[in-house]
Amino acid sequence: MRLALLLALLWPGISLARIGDSVQTSTLKNGMKILVQEDHTVPAVALYFFYRVGSRDERPGITGISHFFEHMMFNGSQHFGPGEFDRQMEVHGGNNNAYTTKDVTVYTDWFPPDTLDLMMRMESDRMAHLVFQPKIVESERGVVYSERRLRVDNDNLGALSEEVEAAAIIAHPYHWPVVGWASDIEAWTMQDLETYYKQGYAPNNCIMVVTGDVRTDRVFQLAKQYFEAIPSHATFGEPRTVEPKQEGERVVRIRKEAELPLLMLAFHMPPTKSPEYPAIEVLETILATGESSRLYSRLVNHEQAALNAQVFDEPSLDPFLLSIVIEPRAGVAVDHVRTLVVSELEKIKASPVPETELRKAKNQWLAAHYRELKSNAGRANMLGTYEIFYGDYRKLYEEPAEVEKVTAADIQRVARQILTPENRAVGILIPQSKRTEEARK
Amino acid sequence: MKGVLPALLAIAVAIPLAAAELRLPPFSRQVLPNGLTLEVMQRKGIPLVEIDIAVKGGVESDPADQPGLAEVTGELLRKGTTSRDSDEFSKDLDALGGTYRIRADAQSTLLQSEFLSKDFGAGLALIADAVLHATFPESEVKKLLAQQSDKAKATKDDPAEAIEPYAHAFFFGESHPYGRVMSEISIAHMNRDSIANYHKRMYSGRNLAIAVVGDIDAQNARAEVERAFDSAPAGEPYQWTEPIRLSRTPRARLLLVDKPAATQTYFFIAQPGIDAKSSDRVAVSLVNTLFGGRFTSMLNEELRVKSGLTYGARNIIDEDRLQGMNSISTFTKTDSTGEAVALSLQVLKDLNEHGLKADQLASAKAYEQGVTPREMLETPDQLAKLLLRLEMLSFGPDEVNTLFQRMDAVSIAEANTVARKYFETSGLTFIFIGDAKKIRAQVAKFAPEIKEIDISAPGFGGI
Repeated sequence: MRLALLLALLWPGISLARIGDSVQTSTLKNGMKILVQEDHTVPAVALYFFYRVGSRDERPGITGISHFFEHMMFNGSQHFGPGEFDRQMEVHGGNNNAYTTKDVTVYTDWFPPDTLDLMMRMESDRMAHLVFQPKIVESERGVVYSERRLRVDNDNLGALSEEVEAAAIIAHPYHWPVVGWASDIEAWTMQDLETYYKQGYAPNNCIMVVTGDVRTDRVFQLAKQYFEAIPSHATFGEPRTVEPKQEGERVVRIRKEAELPLLMLAFHMPPTKSPEYPAIEVLETILATGESSRLYSRLVNHEQAALNAQVFDEPSLDPFLLSIVIEPRAGVAVDHVRTLVVSELEKIKASPVPETELRKAKNQWLAAHYRELKSNAGRANMLGTYEIFYGDYRKLYEEPAEVEKVTAADIQRVARQILTPENRAVGILIPQSKRTEEARK
Repeated sequence: MKGVLPALLAIAVAIPLAAAELRLPPFSRQVLPNGLTLEVMQRKGIPLVEIDIAVKGGVESDPADQPGLAEVTGELLRKGTTSRDSDEFSKDLDALGGTYRIRADAQSTLLQSEFLSKDFGAGLALIADAVLHATFPESEVKKLLAQQSDKAKATKDDPAEAIEPYAHAFFFGESHPYGRVMSEISIAHMNRDSIANYHKRMYSGRNLAIAVVGDIDAQNARAEVERAFDSAPAGEPYQWTEPIRLSRTPRARLLLVDKPAATQTYFFIAQPGIDAKSSDRVAVSLVNTLFGGRFTSMLNEELRVKSGLTYGARNIIDEDRLQGMNSISTFTKTDSTGEAVALSLQVLKDLNEHGLKADQLASAKAYEQGVTPREMLETPDQLAKLLLRLEMLSFGPDEVNTLFQRMDAVSIAEANTVARKYFETSGLTFIFIGDAKKIRAQVAKFAPEIKEIDISAPGFGGI
């Protein structure tokens, strides 16, 4: 109720009854938390499982194993043989996906309402009784390797950001890529898999989110029926390693067959739950959201030095990175582009953002926030993300007010803290023609 | 169903969605005196409103030497109007937190924008300014053309994306509008005059359709759109291209795009497909669901799940005004290129020769009927896009409202007839992007001759 009032003050006349106050929660005896939000717009349900299992919980030698698990979870459990999860789901009019980050693995199911019972049964079976078959592990290894080739080896930004993140984070487990180093993908053993599964996949390490055409009491009843008997147990501890403070700029250059170069600047920033986070989000918006944003307007429209400018971070439990990615235009020196970026960063540190620009960024942030809530899938994802990374799903509805409070002085403060040379890693992808090289040989 | 009629033509009846029933939510459709079609649908909930505009023509209306002209014209609308320069437009759009996206598809240029409901009037005024009063300043035209040219080149850095223009150019050829793809070569042929003329000719009432969907008062919205767009000239209606029948080539054809040092090969195996109005369209889409349209499809099962050759394999059926491609699309590591192609062809042969069983067809129907409501009717942007697609292809609401009945009516005999008719194993067109030195020998057996081009050569093998 508090939220609805706050937003009504910001946007007179807009009713937010539908999205506020309508989430019901329950926690099973084994510690598994459930969030439910009914929405009967279309006959469809989104069922999301957020496991606190990510590359942050890995160690050298088994990097990428969390992501590999995301794949293995579809390859057979005690009561549903290999491929059965997908087959059952699709024959009942549903489909699914999953994603892995540095902190979480999220399983995303979308299906018609009458399939809810079956889905809960299948999800419970794979949480408690996953089966590992050597032949399937081998073929899935090939699939994951193909995914690495797709996202890293044959994707210039994928290749560059992997190097930049590894240069920026040298000690904390965020150092390695979520997909894992190639040699680790080749080397995981059955034993590694079984140990990892037993440790990470516990009901107390999971949050279930249901949005859409369901009845909340029915969801709670099914959750009790299928999940409450799964015993809780100790899972991964928190990583001990704290990333040491960076003491000077780090620069990485990679050479690849490419038409155009790429420039990336990554700055250490606090985790998502930090009180500074709303100000950082507004700062990012001012820098690169929309064509009137500072970097886009200067680099793309006025100097014509770049094709695009993006600024982003990703939700993280521990301190990670604010990244700036620029695609320089053909024939423009990357060093020139870098100078332009740095001069814009210096400007935002030097003088407070004018009120109209601050207002514009807050409007952009709010509209974008609402866009994330348009679908059942979007709401399920946001509820789970806020519960894990902000510590409480209700922050999803409180954050607009937090962003509204951000002042020009806040923006300047976080910019001065984060956007410094000694806090950054710079990555440059230099196009190189293999043909020219071969001709030279 | 098109025509200059001032009154409301159709207001669909609200029927709540239930399993195995698909209904467009209620909306109004009217044609303004200048020929512009306006559709308004109220969707309560999140305080957002989608304002989408479609201009008839799209890719098929591009002049033969200027593929991409429809899209570039769309991109330039916001780069200067009679009342705002490019910077002012961006500032006004961003101040509202609005989005603005342009995409030209086979038959239309689509402008998609979204605003907070409270800003509907201001957002609409901005969009109307771009669509009706763009001035195409010379300096902005030059800037945008140079950017688009670099973007076309940059596409080649992502082979998963680049394979599509190469495939279109090679499969359809330069004599077909779908075979002419935007590249740095076609962009070099564009100038302010060609763009301004295209705008003048195409952006007129009879070629425009607007869909407004979201948390707004429908009556108000209709009145505001009428006010904002009644100054648009009626213009001449766009004359659609006559149907072009694709003939199957007697022998297989093969294009190999050399990307040295690529560790993965991307490929398409294409053959003639259907047009959006084909009487086989529902049966073909059900067959495709089973063949390559979902995770447990025959293709993905063989190439990913059983063999681990790829992260994903699928089959794509184009559904545009003119007959399009039916193409297998996947990728695999360089060394397994030949093996993955052979396996894809084996799956194709199995479908063609052995057909489908009744339980498979039932599964495809259940799948499509489960996923369609949320993929088609859940959010305002989906609904606006759908309304304009129906409009551009001259479909009535029944195309959606009777879809499930038409699916249910597809018999196993009909499914197997279309499987044989559209999923043939001869006269195929192969397109590869990969390390030619390493894959040339692996792919040579699939066609009598290989056309090879260097990925760094300008364009995508066509104009």
